[in-house]
Amino acid sequence: MLSKKHLYLILVTLFITAPLGLIAYKLLVLDYRMTDIIPATSYHIDIVMSVDGHGDDIEMSTYLPKSDARQHITEEEQSSGNFSIDIHSSTLNRVVSWRQESVKGRGSVRYSFSAQAQHVRYLIPEGLNIPANYPESVALYLRSEEGVPLENPLIDEAIGKIFPQKELPILESLTRIHRYLQDHLKNKNFSGYTDAITAYKLGEASCNGKGRLFVALARKINLPSRLVGGLIMQSGNKRVSHQWVEVYVNGYWVPFDTINDHFAELPANFLTLYYGDEVLFRHSPNINFQYFFQTSKRLVSKGSLQERLGDSPLNIANLYLMFEQIGIPQNLLKIILMIPLGALVTVFFRNVIGLETFGTFLPALIAAAARDTGLLWGSIGFVLVIVLTALIRRLLDWMQLLHSPKMAILLTAVVIIILGTTVLSVKFGLGELAHMSLFPIAILAITAERFTIYEAEQGLYKAARVTIATLVVIAAAYAVMDSQFLQSMIMAFPELLLVLIALNMWLGKWIGMRVTEFIRFRQLIRSEVAK
Amino acid sequence: MSWSNWLEEWRKVRQGSRSVLSMNQRNLHFIYPNNAREHFPIADNKLLTKKVLSKHGVPVPKTYVAYSSFYELRNLVDDLVSYEEFVVKPAQGSGGGGILVIGSREGDVWVSISGQRYTEADMRKHLADIIFGVYSFGLTDEVIIEERVEQHDELTQLSPFGLTDVRVISYLDEPVLAMLRVPTRDSDGKANLHQGALGVGIDIQTGQAIHAIHEGEPLTQHPDTSVELQGWELPYWEEILRVSRQAATNVPLKYLGVDLAVSTDGPLILEINVRPGIEIQNANMLGMRPLLELARARGEGSSI
Repeated sequence: MLSKKHLYLILVTLFITAPLGLIAYKLLVLDYRMTDIIPATSYHIDIVMSVDGHGDDIEMSTYLPKSDARQHITEEEQSSGNFSIDIHSSTLNRVVSWRQESVKGRGSVRYSFSAQAQHVRYLIPEGLNIPANYPESVALYLRSEEGVPLENPLIDEAIGKIFPQKELPILESLTRIHRYLQDHLKNKNFSGYTDAITAYKLGEASCNGKGRLFVALARKINLPSRLVGGLIMQSGNKRVSHQWVEVYVNGYWVPFDTINDHFAELPANFLTLYYGDEVLFRHSPNINFQYFFQTSKRLVSKGSLQERLGDSPLNIANLYLMFEQIGIPQNLLKIILMIPLGALVTVFFRNVIGLETFGTFLPALIAAAARDTGLLWGSIGFVLVIVLTALIRRLLDWMQLLHSPKMAILLTAVVIIILGTTVLSVKFGLGELAHMSLFPIAILAITAERFTIYEAEQGLYKAARVTIATLVVIAAAYAVMDSQFLQSMIMAFPELLLVLIALNMWLGKWIGMRVTEFIRFRQLIRSEVAK
Repeated sequence: MSWSNWLEEWRKVRQGSRSVLSMNQRNLHFIYPNNAREHFPIADNKLLTKKVLSKHGVPVPKTYVAYSSFYELRNLVDDLVSYEEFVVKPAQGSGGGGILVIGSREGDVWVSISGQRYTEADMRKHLADIIFGVYSFGLTDEVIIEERVEQHDELTQLSPFGLTDVRVISYLDEPVLAMLRVPTRDSDGKANLHQGALGVGIDIQTGQAIHAIHEGEPLTQHPDTSVELQGWELPYWEEILRVSRQAATNVPLKYLGVDLAVSTDGPLILEINVRPGIEIQNANMLGMRPLLELARARGEGSSI
């Protein structure tokens, strides 16, 4: 006969060994690779533009990145205020423009997206010679144009210097041009326009001057080439954009950057915004146009893992695909799968550390919702909702309503506060706070009620203390749930949820002193030690 | 301090904390196995508590009248006509909310001990509030109107701010640990430790006051009355133990906080609590685990 205790031990053991066994099987037999689980770097970029209107019509435009073989653009969002937005794609570039009539005062627009790019490097075969003819669509990039005047004798002079003998193969020719620009032209930090001739004459240039000279030299020796405009993605705010060039070699557009010495290669943090000799921002005159790029780096899980298992019944990807078909994206699934982990963190803080929080699930749910607002704004939003709702709860006191209708009113209040905050934050450009609508509304209503009870029974001090403790646990749950590694692990091995159950079963039988109890009973403990 | 010193210190703390009952252990080893949830109402509803206890002859404050619905309040004046003093309580209140102590009567007006005057309309409104669950958070409730306990002089001298009560932890029907909960000016007459009342540890064998705390810190005199908090014996101590035992034996809850008032005529049970706090250990400066183990050994011994 199995005793309760034995059954408990068997279940705990099973919940730990079964998932671990399954993981081992996937790794060893099914060729699941851990490197696929390690997350990749992604950048979140906000392009922010602002203008001062004086009653005239305003128009402004810029380029948006496109997804291609090297870079992947997702999660595009915009907030345009009173401007009307128009996005127009041509074969090469994507232009976004905003327009508004008779603008008075300040206006701003924002376009944000996530970008993931790969480092690329091209190997140009040594013996490859410069072709005599190109298809028409490519021959376009051999012409003389503004900033790149091929007929100017100074270009001939430069060619003469760089190429003492004629008819070199492609690799040798590009190496010479690249080395010449890298070694003989000084890098200059200058944001204005420089054409190829000025760059050559001055012997120094910024990215656009060097780029134009590169294009001029390459075109001159019959290599189709073009300017590329983009960003070097680094965390922080900046106004600096970048330009480099691409040369058409054997069917590929091969990148060169003579400012940063990238020969036939492009690092993973280069983001292409447009092709051609273009201006990144265009706008109506006299509007005090300001812009900046706000970039934050983060890690995201790779998608490649899902494809490895193919048709295996253990391929969790098929399950995720099923969710996707009914409109539940993987991102949402990931958040849902992380909530039990957040709950475990909360249990740990309550039963082992001894912090008193509002509810077992609230911290985990708020932490999950804070994924979209960020921890800081999530916490601010949480406190805002609780305090405002608790105030409303107090106002309701004098009406002395029955419990259920009162709770329904609180729920409504939470909905109004959340939606109101969202509207206000969009209006005032607090982008992060606008995502508060994902907050767990019902749980917040219950929490506001609990807050009032604490306040009534044990005073505002106590209620504030529990609120602060809850914020601490939210932060801890957020830190754990935000871990890309843990997210990738649980997405790849959802069986780990059983391990979480086992850990909770263990914590559920843990009778040790909580950390706060060591403090609470410190004098008693000291007197016991003295005995 | 070096690593080994820290380790030594930690080992000592662990050793010293071995006798302390933690919240986790209280819940897992004492409340869950000894108090079945189906029996919680006996403790949570004071009207039910009084009914069960008085049926078995356990002394409780006499109930004058109880109201469970709004229209019963029509008879309010007639029901109370013969009582000068009485206490109004919500049956399922907590933390002392909604309790009203009437000390005298002037014509048609009742006067509370804090001097507040209640006309018939005021009183009816207060009782209606209780029935509508204002003090019991979410549930409709019942009103208890009961005898005002005439507190023993010695306790009134200790603290004139409100009713001092005795908390006895009872495990397997045996008193294990006791403390006196003494109201202060801060605690607004209430006898809850976390509302600022004093906790005075009472030796379970002798009824002697042995130690006292206020807001978690030890002290030797009442902060308002300066009465010494140690070295005297609680009146009716043997009676208190007997009544606690009698109450515990007659309810199906086996890990209990029994709260008693001490009147001039002896102890009366005010309420029983299925989740008694663990702060009583600080009030006694005594860890209760060894005491609970002893009680268990005794309980098992007697049942064989």
